[in-house]
Amino acid sequence: MRKVSFPHMGESYRAFQMVLTDLGNEVVVPPRPSRRTLNLGVQHSPEFACFPLKIVMGTYLEVLDMGAELLVTSGGVGPCRAGLYAELHKKTLRDLGYPVDIIVFEPPRLHPFNFISNVKRLNQARLSIKAIVECVKRGWRKVQALDNVEKMSHLIRPEEIQKGATTKVYKKVLPWIDGAYTIDEIVAAEAAALEEMKKIPRDPERLILDLGIIGEIYVLLEPASNLEIEEVLGNLGVRVERSMFLTGWTRDNTWKETTEGMTVKDAAQPYLPELIGGHGRDSIGNTIIYAKRGFDGVIQLAPFTCIPEIVARTILTRVSHDYNIPVLTFFLDEQTGKAGMVTRLEAFVDLMRMKKIQAANEKPA
Amino acid sequence: MRIGIPGALFYYVYYPMWKVFFEQLDVEVVTSGKTTKALIDKGVREALADACVPVKLFFGHAMALKDKVDQLFIPRIVCLNSKTVYCPKFLALPDMIRHGLTDMPPLIDVRIDTRDKRFAVFKAFMAVGKTLKKSTPAVLEAYAKARITQMKFYQLLRHGFQPAEAIDMVFSRIAAKPVLTGEQMTFALVGYPYIINDQYISVDVVNRLRRFGINVLTPDNLSPLAIATRRYASGKRLFWTFSDKVLRSTRYFTEHKNIDGIIHLSAFGCGPDSIVDKFIRMDDNPRNVPFMSLIIDEHSGEAGIGTRLEAFVDMVKRKKRGE
Amino acid sequence: MKAYLGIDVGSVSTNIAVRDEAGEIIAGLYLRTQGRPVETIQAGLRELQQILPPEVEICAVGATGSGRYLAGVIVGADVVKNEITAHAVAASYYLPDVKTILEIGGQDSKIIIIRDGIVTDFAMNTVCAAGTGSFLDQQASRLGIPITQFGALALQSTTPVRIAGRCTVFAESDMIHKQQMGHTLKDIVNGLCEALVRNYLNNVGKGKELLAPVVFQGGVAANAGIKAAFERALNMEITVSPHHDIIGAIGAALLAKEELEIIKKPTRFKGFTITDLAYRTSSFECDGCPNACEIAEIYEEDRVIGRWGARCPRWDIVEESND
Repeated sequence: MRKVSFPHMGESYRAFQMVLTDLGNEVVVPPRPSRRTLNLGVQHSPEFACFPLKIVMGTYLEVLDMGAELLVTSGGVGPCRAGLYAELHKKTLRDLGYPVDIIVFEPPRLHPFNFISNVKRLNQARLSIKAIVECVKRGWRKVQALDNVEKMSHLIRPEEIQKGATTKVYKKVLPWIDGAYTIDEIVAAEAAALEEMKKIPRDPERLILDLGIIGEIYVLLEPASNLEIEEVLGNLGVRVERSMFLTGWTRDNTWKETTEGMTVKDAAQPYLPELIGGHGRDSIGNTIIYAKRGFDGVIQLAPFTCIPEIVARTILTRVSHDYNIPVLTFFLDEQTGKAGMVTRLEAFVDLMRMKKIQAANEKPA
Repeated sequence: MRIGIPGALFYYVYYPMWKVFFEQLDVEVVTSGKTTKALIDKGVREALADACVPVKLFFGHAMALKDKVDQLFIPRIVCLNSKTVYCPKFLALPDMIRHGLTDMPPLIDVRIDTRDKRFAVFKAFMAVGKTLKKSTPAVLEAYAKARITQMKFYQLLRHGFQPAEAIDMVFSRIAAKPVLTGEQMTFALVGYPYIINDQYISVDVVNRLRRFGINVLTPDNLSPLAIATRRYASGKRLFWTFSDKVLRSTRYFTEHKNIDGIIHLSAFGCGPDSIVDKFIRMDDNPRNVPFMSLIIDEHSGEAGIGTRLEAFVDMVKRKKRGE
Repeated sequence: MKAYLGIDVGSVSTNIAVRDEAGEIIAGLYLRTQGRPVETIQAGLRELQQILPPEVEICAVGATGSGRYLAGVIVGADVVKNEITAHAVAASYYLPDVKTILEIGGQDSKIIIIRDGIVTDFAMNTVCAAGTGSFLDQQASRLGIPITQFGALALQSTTPVRIAGRCTVFAESDMIHKQQMGHTLKDIVNGLCEALVRNYLNNVGKGKELLAPVVFQGGVAANAGIKAAFERALNMEITVSPHHDIIGAIGAALLAKEELEIIKKPTRFKGFTITDLAYRTSSFECDGCPNACEIAEIYEEDRVIGRWGARCPRWDIVEESND
């Protein structure tokens, strides 16, 4: 059987693994990106390529050494350069002597035939169309369940009484969802997981700050690339809301644009009326929406040298001023150290807290 | 009425046309002139540190025009060939200037995207004419004259002049003296026109090479047909117009027997170039033409670039002697 | 007499300050960390014990700086705060209406924007050291001038040499180039001051609204040449804060006092006896999962008192609760 693998992005690998296995492939589960992954990736990528390209390159090299022969990834139609990364990866890997093939999924709305032929190539078990749809549906539901549990962890962590309790429970319940197979099982596992998380002892009295996280999709979704920023913030008493989840993003690109996507676009309109690729416009729109919802601050995560996010950052200075919402940006790459990041986060949290307390004092009681 | 056109980015591609168009409509055109140290310093101070050098330069040029003009002409050029788009920084250029700088004059930021509608360029110019409150016949005439000047500009490019030189010739009527003399070697200098032709930021690589007795050809000197018919080995077309052109031109130069060396000039922090440079290296080079990539930034010391160029020229000369 | 202790453990220097109830600084130490933070803290406390009058009683301790967690567990700190908050608190204490804080230390530099007494924005230098004290240290040693004379020398110059360079390496090669061209030492020194200020403003100061009053603190604030270069660049008067070199420690002491007033508990300070205890640091790679976290730990005598670097709670220390 041909061994298949794919890039690692947060916990989503659990669902991809299930779908690809059902289609009759032997799956090599990509390891969580580690220092070794990064070193491998940096060594074989152009210096000014962005961070996600380097991490994914490292992951590919790791899974190829684990026996993978076929890689599955997403493409893109630009103008973000990530759409060309599959080409770059393929060429580099072949130059290194790996007889690898890459299946690139382009947005099905624009490339329906590419989608169908790719599915056909992956369908080793010769499932019927109905069975494939069934299988993708289950995979989709699993990603949703994983996203929902993650969202819950962001809500609970800042209020936990015992430091680290949320992370512990979160790590405990993930395998429950992983083990679920049918839709019913996934729904039940999700409910049980959410219930388990709600049981974590909490302190509702605490002054909790609300913070939105925006930026480029890969560094948002892969905690290993953003140095677990959400967990760090949660431990500092910050309720984190991330602007993007795999379920939210994939939906934009597969079916019609969601209503949520439309409002983000509308919000960004006065500042950036053009789609500039990547998630630049989303970053602007989401910041405005967070400000309108009364959030205390926004953090932008972007790969170093990411053009759409650089453009967004240039404009965000004005947005931050106009809407009186602090914005902190991290351009991430292999040089980013956790200690420096934590210092900035702590200072940013102090800043938001002082601002909130001052605003509360100014209001007539 | 005075309109400012920053002397960076698209300046090296469409300035002749823009200048004539506005002047025909009795609008005075002011440019920021050549890049200077002071101008770069300003741009570097205001633009985001992570932005690429050309964007920082553009910021500097835009700021230099700040108090000299009533409006700035910074069109949002998205797509001109219905196939490839421009890099994200071009797509958001007016927004970055409007929101990234303070107290700037109003912008004319007409959007041009030939994928949206037919004759998008023509319509864009009509729209600009309308915002300037000019009559339709006057705008039509201005547009026609602008096109003619642009054609002249293109012709000069075909004759081997570089855009900065061709602009001077078109407007100051300097007699066109041939650049392509019977020199001993010809190099292709590939890269974006706004980097190659900015004499300050490129440390005037073109003339440095000429002083070594080398003819210089750039992608701008090739006919659009010659470029369009080249294929590069990548399965997927590059998204960005300038990058696509660089890659195809490089392909052309590697096949062309008169080319003795290829230099890829790219700017620090350029996102697309991280891919272009890699693709150039991965593409076939059937004649094994010597290749060097040169990355320049706002601090490039003349000494450093000069040394590298000299070394490359010497190497190519030695190779040629050996053959 | 009641007093409050602040410790700021940075990568280059470790600063210790003790202030009394009235706000007087009764002891201030500036020590080189030299890569041995634990020994430096112990040595500092030992020295402190000798300086302090016997009637002084430490009622709260604050730790800050990049080594704040380490310092926190060693001395038993009541509050462990990041250095941005500590610097902001101390600067506002001395100049309540301060709006901008420029801070340049050995390897870190930061800018803090304060409005109405609260921090509204800040930035720290990223990977680059070109805007920090180590830049000056390196160039000074290259030129063979003691760093203490650097400022005075710079002030004698009227025509600073322009030294380019985004990073210390480029700057150094450019500086050598300028030396070879025959510029005088004082002009080169002054040029270096301007280069540092330019790098600082372009890197950490980017996009920030720099309003007066401006306070300059950190180790480099002692350098009059840099202060003058800042004043020229910003065209405003700049105040060097009192105790500028130990200001972080003073901030930590202030925060400790505040904390104690809020929680109303006795201090966790372990006392000066810790100077005689044996501390040992070690590190290992966790093999619990593919993350392979590098865990650093510190032992006091034979007991683990701190661990860092884990991505999961596996190595958390369960505190023996005394309360």
